[in-house]
Amino acid sequence: MKPPMEQPMNENPVLASVTALTVEVDGRALVDRVSLRIRPGTVTALVGASGSGKTTTGLALLGEYPAGARVTGEVTVHGTRIGYVPQHPAAVLNPARRTGALLHDMARRQVRDLPRPQRRTAARQRVTEALADAQLDASAGVLGRYPHQLSGGQQQRVVLAQALLLGARVIVADEPTTGQDALTKRRIVDQLAAVAARGIAVLLLSHDLDVVRELADEVLVMRGGRVVEQGPAHRILDGPTHPWTKELLAEPRTLPYADPGRTGEELLTVDGLTARHRTAGRRAPVLNVDRLTLRRGECLAVVGRSGSGKTTLARCLAGLHRDHTGQILLDGTALPRSLRDRSREQLAAVQYVFQDARAAFDEHRPVLDQVARTAVRLRGAGHREATEEARRTLTDLGLDDALVRRAPGGLSGGELQRAALARALLARPRVLVCDEITSGLDPVTRRSLLDLLATLIRRPGGPGVVLITHDLDTAAPATRLAVLDGGHIVEQGTREQILTAPRHPFTAALLAASRRWGAAVRP
Amino acid sequence: MNRLRRYGPGAAVVAIPLGLALAGPFLAGEPSARAASFTLGGGHRLGTDFVGRDVVHQVLLGGRPVVLVALAATALAYLVALPLGLISALTHRRWLEEVLMRPPDVLLAVPSLLMILLVAAAFPPGPVGLALLVAFVSIPDAARIVRAAAAEAASRPAVEALRMQGESWWRIAVGYVGRSILRTLAADAGIRLTGVLYLVATAAFLGIGVAPDAADWAVMVDRNRTGLLIQPWAVVVPALLIVALTMGGNLLVDAALQHRTPPRKGRRP
Repeated sequence: MKPPMEQPMNENPVLASVTALTVEVDGRALVDRVSLRIRPGTVTALVGASGSGKTTTGLALLGEYPAGARVTGEVTVHGTRIGYVPQHPAAVLNPARRTGALLHDMARRQVRDLPRPQRRTAARQRVTEALADAQLDASAGVLGRYPHQLSGGQQQRVVLAQALLLGARVIVADEPTTGQDALTKRRIVDQLAAVAARGIAVLLLSHDLDVVRELADEVLVMRGGRVVEQGPAHRILDGPTHPWTKELLAEPRTLPYADPGRTGEELLTVDGLTARHRTAGRRAPVLNVDRLTLRRGECLAVVGRSGSGKTTLARCLAGLHRDHTGQILLDGTALPRSLRDRSREQLAAVQYVFQDARAAFDEHRPVLDQVARTAVRLRGAGHREATEEARRTLTDLGLDDALVRRAPGGLSGGELQRAALARALLARPRVLVCDEITSGLDPVTRRSLLDLLATLIRRPGGPGVVLITHDLDTAAPATRLAVLDGGHIVEQGTREQILTAPRHPFTAALLAASRRWGAAVRP
Repeated sequence: MNRLRRYGPGAAVVAIPLGLALAGPFLAGEPSARAASFTLGGGHRLGTDFVGRDVVHQVLLGGRPVVLVALAATALAYLVALPLGLISALTHRRWLEEVLMRPPDVLLAVPSLLMILLVAAAFPPGPVGLALLVAFVSIPDAARIVRAAAAEAASRPAVEALRMQGESWWRIAVGYVGRSILRTLAADAGIRLTGVLYLVATAAFLGIGVAPDAADWAVMVDRNRTGLLIQPWAVVVPALLIVALTMGGNLLVDAALQHRTPPRKGRRP
């Protein structure tokens, strides 16, 4: 966190202000009487769970409102444009043009007034300035690449550079670090801080409190469209008064997921696995795992950065990634590589929960029916019986009857993730593979989902869980951790070993990034 | 009320040609005596055609073959293309995909009209034969569209989740993938119907499947061309009816696919 009151805030001019903004859709207030001021060089953070009205408020600054919204209140912008950096920046970059062309097109339009011979130099000058402001190094060859050849962080900065080119002095950054691993997060934070240091105002929409702690000067805590608490960052984060803020700020779970005394015999074993991906006609190995074991009643966390091969590992276990050699043994019997060749019992035994719960549901059918199908297909239950069991399981996970009769569109991300868990549980699995099931969820929802997972593991006859994650906080309470880097398991051991005495430099770096983060990783 | 506004325009446009095509032959009655070619008036409200027949009478009779052959051919083409496309999109066996999709690709390389001419030269077809023939040449296009749309839907996590639940091929292919690509297919069917109508009309124009003086909208457009400047109705009316049929069909399909969308933006403060 920055030292409090680094700049005398009240002398700074206001770049943009929102006064008593209310946005209603179908009589429901998405945003309820929100007011905020944005000053140059400061970072204002809107904090809250998903669905709390952060994005609606942020987009209101751009004059964008949801379809059919009724808007009251006032949004004033003083002599500047507002830039918006969305959560998925690739969606707003033209995939058919190189980054340099994208930026030069914009710059060229702005230098039309100049005499023709000067235009080219002036345009180049502007692009260079925007790149510098956006913390993008032009010499790294970024300009010559297409958007899909850039990393997520680079894409973010290209969008930022575009906004700055257009003269934006206020940037709305929507969840810039969601789903990123600790090391990438660190870089994004440094870059945003540097952008703010150049006199650009940043409105940060985030549920990632570590990022807010690092960056924000001013914090507004939102819940259900209202601002419940507001003030300088250090006061809100160190001495929250509102109970909701306190809940948001609560430490991540450190209590072990599994009961350490109940670990049993070997359940699932990976033996000499090499998985390949087909890229440009060549089959390149992306993952090598000599040996990895999950025991009964335990939770095994697989930690690694994006691209380390952890999702491929999970998909191999579930039979979704067929192109591999080596064996996956369940109770000592090899499982077929493809889930199409697995028997009903084998399918039921190893269940997989997808990262993107929304994409993993059929958007046309009610959630309850989809969940019930597992019991019908994998356990031969009757339709009515299966529906009854699905309803019980869903209620058990905190989803009431009216909610689950809706199509997936009517549920929030956290609710759908619970439904996805219920769908897998109806198979009465012995191994549950959870692939990044908490990324993209706000801290409160994440904590409750992980607590739920712990309850499941601790039940008698509960499944052994393979927890795939990039987030060390999520992985820390697991029984054992395996650290994956560049397709190899560089280290594995009990949580005490990994968290207190990491032997591999990559593990140490991951831990250090997390520690600096201020998160509690206590063994 | 809403329904009327949604389907009204399309239904109105398509009703005239479809009504004429289906009910026309019953209303036509006995043909009147032949008059001179390409005349106007003289008891013929739309004049006479190239052999002096009453144009109204011909229009009433000429819709059925065009509409029935085109609809049957489109339906037949999809009957084959749907399973082809779905199977090849959902299989993970490359050889199966090759076996299913290569032959239509070869067919695609031959111009469809040439194909129709070749086959028609060897086996002169009747209306049923023409429908089969046109359906046959439409299969490759339709199959490729089905496969491309289905391949996208089949790669979604939802399909993997269904497999994880042990769902049957049928449920995955029809219940999820088929349903997901419905909009694409409906849009394509609208275009395909137009294309098929064009093919049927062209075939009729070339004398395939119909007699050269048959009462057939397509044949009428062709045969009466020569008198266009003297007696335009014999060309314009059947041409307009064909256009109305395809356009109305497209409008209906669009309306059926349209989700109720609220106004795009809220009011600014």
